[in-house]
Amino acid sequence: MSDQTGKQISKEEKDARFEAELLPVLDPLYNFAYRLTLDEDDANDLVQETYLKAYRFFDYFEQGTNAKAWLFRILKNSFINEFRKKSKQPAKVDYSEVEGYYNSEDVEGESGVATTTDMRTESVQDLIGDEVASALNALPVDFRTVIILCDLEGFTYEEMAKILDIPIGTVRSRLHRARNSLKEKLEKYAKSMGYNG
Amino acid sequence: METKFTEAYEQQASDTGHETDCSKVAQLLDAVVDGEATAEEQTFFTGHLEDCVPCFESHQKQKLLKGLVSGNLKRMLVPERLALAIKTKIQATTV
Repeated sequence: MSDQTGKQISKEEKDARFEAELLPVLDPLYNFAYRLTLDEDDANDLVQETYLKAYRFFDYFEQGTNAKAWLFRILKNSFINEFRKKSKQPAKVDYSEVEGYYNSEDVEGESGVATTTDMRTESVQDLIGDEVASALNALPVDFRTVIILCDLEGFTYEEMAKILDIPIGTVRSRLHRARNSLKEKLEKYAKSMGYNG
Repeated sequence: METKFTEAYEQQASDTGHETDCSKVAQLLDAVVDGEATAEEQTFFTGHLEDCVPCFESHQKQKLLKGLVSGNLKRMLVPERLALAIKTKIQATTV
């Protein structure tokens, strides 16, 4: 790798730049990996794989440009190529909609979450969070992906189009359908809790 | 033939102009909520909502839905060893 004057830079310097620019994305990247794989071990492997690929192609990354979008794109491609085939929970990454999404076992599955699981002290906020997570996890992976990229990670439609390798029009229509799907699932839950209208 | 069709359509549209605007607004809903609408679209959207309660309500619902995800979804804790594992592997890699 060369610096701006065209001289070869040392591996130490390359590693330092890599860590400074790309490691800060670790938290959102891990969360994205988890939402895709729904498995902590797979998410771990996927993230490591992504950073290794990013390192191999670091020479092609323009310093100061959108590191987050670049990493998300690499991760999404790795997921499609490698993890969808060997996912430990194929039903959850199946493209067909999952019936009867609310499964009480799934709520316990959010084990790495930074909050108490003691039902007596669990706030309404936590319960809502669990429900939103369950509903989101039950969506087909394409729908889940656009909602996370837009609502959680705050990417623009244009960034999403680049990450997913689809036209902006498809980003918009997919987001629209994904939100309708999520709305339906959450309305089912609201009704089951006695909220009407 | 096309002229007759569009004339008939426009006649229908002006009779049911209210519904046509509502369907335009429905299409803009996500873009507005995501801050991706153009200034012109935003103006049209806001103007319509002043006169249309159903559209106003669906806008509120869409904002709420987005807020449920962005504000309520719990974030997973990154496993402590992951950052270290990555650094170690990077340093061991000679490209």
